Amino acid sequence: MTRRGPVFAPDDNAAAPARARPTARHKGGVSETAPHDSALRHVDGGAKYIDDMSEPAGCLHLALVTSEWAHARITGIDTAKALALDGVATVIAAGDIPGENDMAPVMPGEPLLPPEVAEYVGHPVAAVAAADFETARQAAKLVEVHGEPLQPVLDLDDAIAREHYLLAPIVFQRGDPGPALSEAPRRLQGGTRVGCQDHFYLETQVALAVPQEDDEMVVYSGTQHPTEVQHIVAHLLAVPHAAVQVEVRRMGGAFGGKESQASLVAGLAAVAAAKTGRPVKLRLDRDSDMLVTGKRHAFKLDWDVGFDDDGRILAVDMQLAGQCGWSVDLSPGVLSRALSHADNAYYYPHVRLTGLFCKTNTQSNTAFRGFGGPQGMLAAEAMLDAIARSLGKDPLEVRRLNLYAAPDRLLTPYHQTVEHFRIPEMIDQLVASSDYARRRAEIDRFNAGNDVIKRGLALAPVKFGISFNKPEMNQAGALVNVYTDGSVALNHGGTEMGQGVFVKVAQVVAEVFGIDLTAVRATATTTAKVPNTSPTAASSGSDLNGMAAKQAAETIRERMRAVAAEQLEADARAVTFAGNQAVAGNKTIGFGELAQACHQARVSLSSTGYYRTPKIHFDRETNRGRPFYYYAHGVAVSEVAIDTLTGEWKPLRTDILHDVGSSLNPGVDRGQIEGGFIQGLGWLTMEECVWDAEGRLLTHAPSTYKIPTARDVPRDLRIELLQNAPNEEATAFRSKAVGEPPLMLANSVWLALRDAVHACGPGGRAAALDAPATPEKILRAVEAMRP
Amino acid sequence: MYQFDYHRPTSLDEAAQILSQDDEASLLAGGQTLLPTMKQRLAAPSQLVDLSGIAELKGVREDSGQIIVGAMTPHDTVANDKTVQAKIPGLAHLAGEIGDPQVRNRGTIGGSLANNDPASDYPGAVLGLGATVRTNKREIPADDFFLGLFETALDEGELIKEVAFPVPKKSAYAKFHNPASRYAIVGAFVASTEQGVRVAITGAGPCVFRVPEMEQALNSNWSADAIKDIKVAADDFNTDLHASADYRAHLVTVMAKRAVQAAG
Ligand SMILES: Cc1cc2nc3c(=O)[nH]c(=O)nc-3n(C[C@H](O)[C@H](O)[C@H](O)COP(=O)(O)OP(=O)(O)OC[C@H]3O[C@@H](n4cnc5c(N)ncnc54)[C@H](O)[C@@H]3O)c2cc1C
Repeated sequence: MTRRGPVFAPDDNAAAPARARPTARHKGGVSETAPHDSALRHVDGGAKYIDDMSEPAGCLHLALVTSEWAHARITGIDTAKALALDGVATVIAAGDIPGENDMAPVMPGEPLLPPEVAEYVGHPVAAVAAADFETARQAAKLVEVHGEPLQPVLDLDDAIAREHYLLAPIVFQRGDPGPALSEAPRRLQGGTRVGCQDHFYLETQVALAVPQEDDEMVVYSGTQHPTEVQHIVAHLLAVPHAAVQVEVRRMGGAFGGKESQASLVAGLAAVAAAKTGRPVKLRLDRDSDMLVTGKRHAFKLDWDVGFDDDGRILAVDMQLAGQCGWSVDLSPGVLSRALSHADNAYYYPHVRLTGLFCKTNTQSNTAFRGFGGPQGMLAAEAMLDAIARSLGKDPLEVRRLNLYAAPDRLLTPYHQTVEHFRIPEMIDQLVASSDYARRRAEIDRFNAGNDVIKRGLALAPVKFGISFNKPEMNQAGALVNVYTDGSVALNHGGTEMGQGVFVKVAQVVAEVFGIDLTAVRATATTTAKVPNTSPTAASSGSDLNGMAAKQAAETIRERMRAVAAEQLEADARAVTFAGNQAVAGNKTIGFGELAQACHQARVSLSSTGYYRTPKIHFDRETNRGRPFYYYAHGVAVSEVAIDTLTGEWKPLRTDILHDVGSSLNPGVDRGQIEGGFIQGLGWLTMEECVWDAEGRLLTHAPSTYKIPTARDVPRDLRIELLQNAPNEEATAFRSKAVGEPPLMLANSVWLALRDAVHACGPGGRAAALDAPATPEKILRAVEAMRP
Repeated sequence: MYQFDYHRPTSLDEAAQILSQDDEASLLAGGQTLLPTMKQRLAAPSQLVDLSGIAELKGVREDSGQIIVGAMTPHDTVANDKTVQAKIPGLAHLAGEIGDPQVRNRGTIGGSLANNDPASDYPGAVLGLGATVRTNKREIPADDFFLGLFETALDEGELIKEVAFPVPKKSAYAKFHNPASRYAIVGAFVASTEQGVRVAITGAGPCVFRVPEMEQALNSNWSADAIKDIKVAADDFNTDLHASADYRAHLVTVMAKRAVQAAG
């Protein structure tokens, strides 16, 4: 493993200038592989999800009444038969919403229940509340929705052709690609497409709304964004924000699917609870969840690229057409991130990137791990692949040639200068450790001698910008309480969805206090403790909340330091916190004892913390600025084999080198890398959403929608964290975000499949293989590649 | 669910008796198809006649050179039965390729054949081996049993007792799984029998079918090469969310070749 020299003053996060050698280290501080705080309970069933909570007395259950039309004017909703059923309490429709009928996260105009027009098959137009779920479901079938069908637009091509957009296109431009393209020695036009992906979180969408005194409402919501649910419930019910409390202890996976989509479920439960005055639970079954909620945007990606004889890019003009579904939802952010990742790790001297917000009468596509980034990056990689093939070169060579490079090839299409770019040396390292060159030659020999099985090998880099594209979202709050026995309760705006944000932030707090991780309790996320938060998204959960919690803990620690100095009769600057005690010279006081002493001395042991990301700014008019605080990097090499008779394929080996800065928790980070890679592999090779000609989603259960399982993972999967690589920016203990970036490591699998298909013909052009690369598509690409 | 009566008779006659008295009654085997269908209200039988209490319907035995599989024998039993593995390895392999462990332990050969799902596997073996379906009323040769999409020669109130498989010289099954459900997108069963070669294809069309051109070619030359250029027409094949008709047609040849290779 290569060693990196120190790139910054190593300990600028640490506390006291004068330090005594701690006698013992506390357990579970930063950089340790502490198990996920709920790991055992996940396994033994002790971890409670919202559906596991005991239901309050009188709890009602909701079932949805959904549109059968892809597009229709609703002329009437007849609830008589449903209401007549024993156990049915009420039916809610648009008219039952006391406040503003809107659940849009960004641009107003997305009704919770449509008052006039149903926009897709599965669009909830009403909901039935009954004493139990079975009755509610039965009653939902008895609600008669009358409507006049309208002409729908169902697929992306149709939407592009009709310029059926939700918003005006966005453009990122630098330089002047027009002339540069026409003057380029070589020019290629091409494209690829990538399909939707369902989040397939194990826990489906759920909310439990419990009316309180007066106009108050508590909502337990499986949401990544409690604050947004709070705001939406408040305006749906026409009550102040302060009257609504939203709480979530954990979600069983979310992946972006519980960012804006959770509002629908929580909103319906809250409206029904307000109407009936009774607690109301809504939990979607798997089919409803898939039929109702939005997915990862499908994209049609087209480029026009000029380059020289070596394959060095001179100009790029690219169109990224995103399928948004029926509503704007989070599409502005998704498109912006798609465009800001359409360079991936490559420098485009002249560039224009155009993003289209295509409206279709399908589910409202939304946030999904990577948030448009993966689709943008896929365009870059497919384009690089095409350039290399047209020149008969190894794509790795062409990739290296086009990497961002000092001094004058560092400016991105959004005018941020790439700093601390780690990809070149990471590629070198992985090429060596994966034995790329030898295997490349061996695979080429194998392919020359085999007609039926062809193997493919590809390397793909990932450069992923960290921060919400919207600067104002990059802030976080935390609340830390130290009790007089030295135990600590931690609360912050981050939501736990299995990714380990709770344990990582707890490790940060343990580190600040120098105490064992077991002394720190993470508590349920609630708008009542930490207000006005951002969603746990954009990989930023640990970065933002870790820093806010760190600040809160440091505030308390500094107060405790003064008391410790008195107790230990030492200079405050000489006091350190480690090994569950405060230490000065050869004197110590236990952390709990010190907490008690603070209380005696009337020193507060509670503090909030607040953090906002420095340095970032972005002008949404010109699409210029510095949207990203820093970049996370990764490189993967994948090898696959395809059967050219059927298109079946197998992953043979994947080597990953990923940059998490100084890891807060290497075990959790490896889990994110593995999981992200496998989810990406599913996205690019097997997960396929299929709608019929009427706009009905046919793939709404695991019997028709294939997600990767243990069997689909490469048997030989080697994951390394980049060592000695602290973040140059002052993040929590110099760590880097890890939630989303690893998903795109799977691009290497898709590119390896294209490599294998390429080996079926004389070369000269890239494989015509879109994503997901199902066996049928691979076979078609093989046949198209044959001489 | 909704109201229905449940019976668990202990003899075939008793089961037939209940069936004959009520058009709306339905046999219940492992429930793998029937119960989900009822939950979705696509079927709403008035009575369920559970066959699991009838001992004679369960198990595998050898009888005058044939392998007899009782209607209520779960796939897993067939897959792991030593006699089946030794005498008709293609059949054991096919049973082991069905669904997942849960399905293989609940699903039955009788339920599978009565249902005749176009994507199911057993019809491939039954037609490919020229087996005989024995019911409480008669014996139905495989060639007459499968009539069309979810359609069989079974009469109203007729129930499958067992299936008699002749032991072939060699046989094998090659299956292209649907990656999600594990059902067959295309399955090819080939058998070399005393009466000649049989090739049965399931998954591709609305109902299992034989491919006479392949059978002829293999009769004169038992090798994968002999059928590599034989293409079946995609005309009435299924095009659905899982695969196009053309892809299925292409897979028929590939899977048949694989089966011949596997049979050795
Ligand atoms: C997730 C899943 C995956 C599957 N994958 C595959 C696969 O890969 N390949 C495959 O071939 N199959 C597959 N199946 C089907 C499965 O193998 C069963 O054989 C099939 O579902 C029938 O189920 P059963 O035997 O439990 O019969 P039931 O569901 O109980 O009955 C099915 C029908 O047959 C009738 N019936 C049952 N027994 C008799 C009898 N003795 N005489 C007359 N009629 C009878 C019933 O009345 C009913 O109409 C799958 C099923 C599931 C749920």
